[in-house]
Amino acid sequence: MILRSLRLRSFRAHAETGLEFAPKVNLLYGPNGAGKTNVLEAVHYLCLTKSFTASTDRYAVREGAPYFEVEGTVAGVREAPVDVRIVYVPSEGKKVFVNGAPLDRLAEIVGMLPVVVFSPEDYDLTAGGPSERRRFVNNILSQARPVYMDDLLKYRRARKQRNEVLRQYKGRRESPPSSVLKPWTEEIVAIGSRVIQQRHDFLNTFSDYLTDAYRRIEAVAEKPSIEYDTVADVEDLRAAGATTEAESGPPASREAVAAAFRDALDRKRGSEERRGTTLAGPQRDELVFRLDDLEVRRYGSQGQHRTFGMALKLAQFFYLRDRADTDPLLLLDDAFGKLDRRRTDVFLQLLASDDVGQSLITATQHRSFAEALDFETSAHRAFRVDRVEQKARVRPADGGTWDDRAATDIEAGTPDDRDVVPDS
Amino acid sequence: MQFTSESVEALVEQFTKLPTIGRKTAQRLANYILKMDEEAVEKIAEALLAVKRKVQRCSTCHVVADRDPCPICSDSKRDPSTICVVEESSDLLAIERTGEYRGRYHVLGGVISPLDGVGPDDLRIRELARRIDPDFASDGDPPPLDAVDADPDGEGLSGGSPSGASATTAGAAGDPGADASPKDASPEERSNGADASSSEDADEGRVNEVILAVNPNVEGDTTAYYISQLLEPFDVSVTRIARGLPIGGDLEYADEATLSRALEGRGDV
Repeated sequence: MILRSLRLRSFRAHAETGLEFAPKVNLLYGPNGAGKTNVLEAVHYLCLTKSFTASTDRYAVREGAPYFEVEGTVAGVREAPVDVRIVYVPSEGKKVFVNGAPLDRLAEIVGMLPVVVFSPEDYDLTAGGPSERRRFVNNILSQARPVYMDDLLKYRRARKQRNEVLRQYKGRRESPPSSVLKPWTEEIVAIGSRVIQQRHDFLNTFSDYLTDAYRRIEAVAEKPSIEYDTVADVEDLRAAGATTEAESGPPASREAVAAAFRDALDRKRGSEERRGTTLAGPQRDELVFRLDDLEVRRYGSQGQHRTFGMALKLAQFFYLRDRADTDPLLLLDDAFGKLDRRRTDVFLQLLASDDVGQSLITATQHRSFAEALDFETSAHRAFRVDRVEQKARVRPADGGTWDDRAATDIEAGTPDDRDVVPDS
Repeated sequence: MQFTSESVEALVEQFTKLPTIGRKTAQRLANYILKMDEEAVEKIAEALLAVKRKVQRCSTCHVVADRDPCPICSDSKRDPSTICVVEESSDLLAIERTGEYRGRYHVLGGVISPLDGVGPDDLRIRELARRIDPDFASDGDPPPLDAVDADPDGEGLSGGSPSGASATTAGAAGDPGADASPKDASPEERSNGADASSSEDADEGRVNEVILAVNPNVEGDTTAYYISQLLEPFDVSVTRIARGLPIGGDLEYADEATLSRALEGRGDV
């Protein structure tokens, strides 16, 4: 897919900004706090109805404005270009419009405009807690399979209900009677085992994508792998399943997963009653990343964390491309800031190649990009983002007219400009 | 906005108590009512009071109706051997509009949702069981399922009498004695003795099938499961309506989750 144009209204630092993008690399450069990342966030809102940062919708509204609006025109998804618009009014919530028609459910847009984000936070994929890794898997599967997201949302709801039962009886210092708890147990087992099964099958396929992606950015012959820790050993699930194929991914049988999940809940029952919450299930899944035998989370070097994180995102790109039959949009938020020169060059070459589609990149300076990419061609475009009178200003900066003031500005830094997010 | 009239303000305030009516809409409604003929306003007021004064619930199926039993329950042409279980009266009307269903109904009054403080006893599930077996917890005992297990002190949802009283019926419940609390009187006793009574009655008025027409969401699923477990000991088949594509909906435009489920639940041609 190609994002042709984008319009932001009252979105974070942007009062009113319009951009026309080039089909390959689009560089947004300028000082910190000017509003570069905001553009990427706005695009992310169009694709997945939320930001890739942890912040809430309310803070995305520009200070003093009653609502925000983001609109984009996307080619390569349907035959004719599609106009997607998202509006958020704090008292009314979000609404998504496709070609002017409102969607009944926000979730319907997810997967239509596949997107992959690279950011310095990718470091946490390997170095952070298990929830980061579950979020990663949820993001990919939600974009690839609408039914997965439906299951995931239902699972969360059912688990909340079950937790409420446990909590209520904990408060009364009683064991919940089976007649009350069991229907909820069966509900989370039914939905949760679908979630687990889909994760399991996904990871089987995904590991090949990861190996490929890793090779693209690192010449060393280490082999990355992913181990899936869930309610039961994946091996057990396979053994109990219908197939007994070796290593390369026999699907786990739904019944085997459900039985394992039910067993795990039975075993935890006493603790669940004491703590008043559900203690087994996909919400406690963990992924273990390895390079050969080395567990990256514990023993990886900084460089290995960075490379592994990039490889995961790159693998996400190729996986989604194969599922969606279109190039996902790449959003690189200051992704090169901590990379060494060699990896940066490898990555920029990849971005310019035909292997990937369109990308939007933020950076504080343009130099390394201007050397590696030809912004004179129509394939790439650079934008200079500044903060003028408390507003973000975006101007196309073509190859010949690099704004040299940028470099000095950046070196000096403009930290006081960073408080652009309304506090309300 | 400031009102110069307290009556208008009071009316606005009352309107905002209705669902989906915010303050602005309430003001618009109040202004409109100010301009209406007194006669027309009286009609609205009468209609409002009438639904509270005249409308009651059918004592059999619990649908809102002007008389008891309701027209459906008193219609001898309706098949009493099939009961369609719905969440609310409005769901009943939706199924009636199909003109395809000739059985009777049972209105639960909601679904099980702990987060909303709704447990099985807050719904008309016991009443449903009694329609299938009149002996089911017939003498006003505490609900057969929880009261015994969960509520030895009688302080829970049901507020019923102390445990033990419902010894014969409790075993008929979905999950005999699997989780009896320590204080509970002998679970074995409860699990025996219960099954005998159901098959005795003459076939007249016998219920053969219970169709669960609850919504296809988490709460609906759980309520369906609860009811199916509760009715398991009885000689009645419990079914659930299918989920899938809307008729007249284009496959191309169906949302993917629905389509995936429809694919999953496909049937032979």
